[in-house]
Amino acid sequence: MPLLEIRNLVVRYGEIEALRGITIAVEQGQVVTLLGANGAGKSTTLRAISGLEKPASGDIMFDGHSIAGLGPEAIVRLGISHVPEGRRVFPGLTVKENIMLGASNRKVSTSQISREADAMFDLFPDIRKFSNALGWTLSGGQLQMVAVARGLMAKPRLLLLDEPSLGLAPVIVQAVFRIISQIRKDTTVLLVEQNARMGLSVADHGFVLETGRIVLGGKPDELWGNEAIAAAYLGGHAKAHA
Amino acid sequence: MDLVLQLLFTGIGIGAVYALVALGFVLIFRATNVVNFAQGEFSMVAAYLMVVFSVDLGWPYWLSFLLALAGMALFGVIFNLGVYYPLRNRTYLPVIIATIGASILLSNSVLAIYGPQPQVLQGWFDTPGIQLGPVYLDSQYLLIIAVTILLVLFNFWFFEKTLLGKKLQATSQDKEMASLLGISVSTMIMITFIYSAVLGGLAGILVAPVLFVSIQMGSTIALKAFAATIIGGFGDVAGAIVGGLALGVIETFGAAYISVPYKDGFAFLVLIAFLVFRPQGIFGERVAEKA
Repeated sequence: MPLLEIRNLVVRYGEIEALRGITIAVEQGQVVTLLGANGAGKSTTLRAISGLEKPASGDIMFDGHSIAGLGPEAIVRLGISHVPEGRRVFPGLTVKENIMLGASNRKVSTSQISREADAMFDLFPDIRKFSNALGWTLSGGQLQMVAVARGLMAKPRLLLLDEPSLGLAPVIVQAVFRIISQIRKDTTVLLVEQNARMGLSVADHGFVLETGRIVLGGKPDELWGNEAIAAAYLGGHAKAHA
Repeated sequence: MDLVLQLLFTGIGIGAVYALVALGFVLIFRATNVVNFAQGEFSMVAAYLMVVFSVDLGWPYWLSFLLALAGMALFGVIFNLGVYYPLRNRTYLPVIIATIGASILLSNSVLAIYGPQPQVLQGWFDTPGIQLGPVYLDSQYLLIIAVTILLVLFNFWFFEKTLLGKKLQATSQDKEMASLLGISVSTMIMITFIYSAVLGGLAGILVAPVLFVSIQMGSTIALKAFAATIIGGFGDVAGAIVGGLALGVIETFGAAYISVPYKDGFAFLVLIAFLVFRPQGIFGERVAEKA
């Protein structure tokens, strides 16, 4: 049984159908990457899983139970942590406070949360020295580290990562993806990326979304191998890196 | 010089009341992005609760005080569920109109029960005050200042040192993200309404012996407190407190040195000056950074 199974999911924004019946499965321990152009429905898929958007039809099964229609507060308590597009680090709180609030879905003491937040800096040494800096003072790469650290504080069984590379310098992107390949040792990851090369480099399985539909799915090698798809969705240089 | 000190004391005393109500404004504004136009009526309702318990029923002052505050906490729950919660997913406009409606309903309900004549509430202490050198310290103003200092310290501790305070801040900064982390946004907003109702209620109970207990007391205080939040920098907690104190001092000095009948006018003259020359208020920059 897959950890996450989405069946014929339809999400509408008013008149517009953002997702037109998508079906994907994420197995326990995998990293699965959703690829696609702007507006293809990648973020909407993650928002539907975490409860920010209500499905118009279809089902979302987590660990064998339907979570479609539950609110975000209930879903994160079940163990799905969503690191949304744009990082969304609280600007008026410090880095440590932001990370600590990531544990809000669990019933643990404040001192325990504080210890866990300190331990999180071992995985993200670059932001340790900004522990007491306010969120708005950080750079994009630092914000991404804080956002992922905060997402991990939920001790998720499934981590949803939305465009972690967006707007970051290449060297920072590589640092972020190094962290993702560390995270995958303990956590199943559903990753949304526009950067197909980076997105597939850490993935066990990939799906390509096009205007609300899944048009292709497979192992990264198979996706690279499909020439037409590689050219259209994975960038012109895809072959060179395959 | 003696007069200056005396006026400063009185000004800070009345300014502390504005600061408490302004704090209530700011906390609800930050949590819901809506100005609560019934904030002044919170003070009025609490003062009338004191009249009910202490004057009408003749219960001890301290007991009436605690009951009135407990009543305000309950009032905050009812206000949230009845006025804000049903409209929480709408734009700010229906919510603002609902708070104005609630304000009219509250003052007219009290008017229907108590009539237009103001009620008198005794102060906490039997002694009217103490003479300290050249300055006469009115006991009620001393109480107001002491309670305000304690509340400002509590407020700082609560929002800066506790995880619940951080969750409230997170909710006011980004509700969707807070809910993704498992923070119950509706609980945080409920807490904010309860806290703001108790703050506004405290201000009303404390100032009631200085003014009269009347239907209009809420709107008068709320107008000044609203001006105080703008002077301090809208949405800023420290700004609300500094703005409230500044306004109290300014209007007290204005009344003493320029004109008593125009006392209320000075507050709004200062407000207009700020709106023209420094619309972001005293602590304005920090608000700009958050945007």
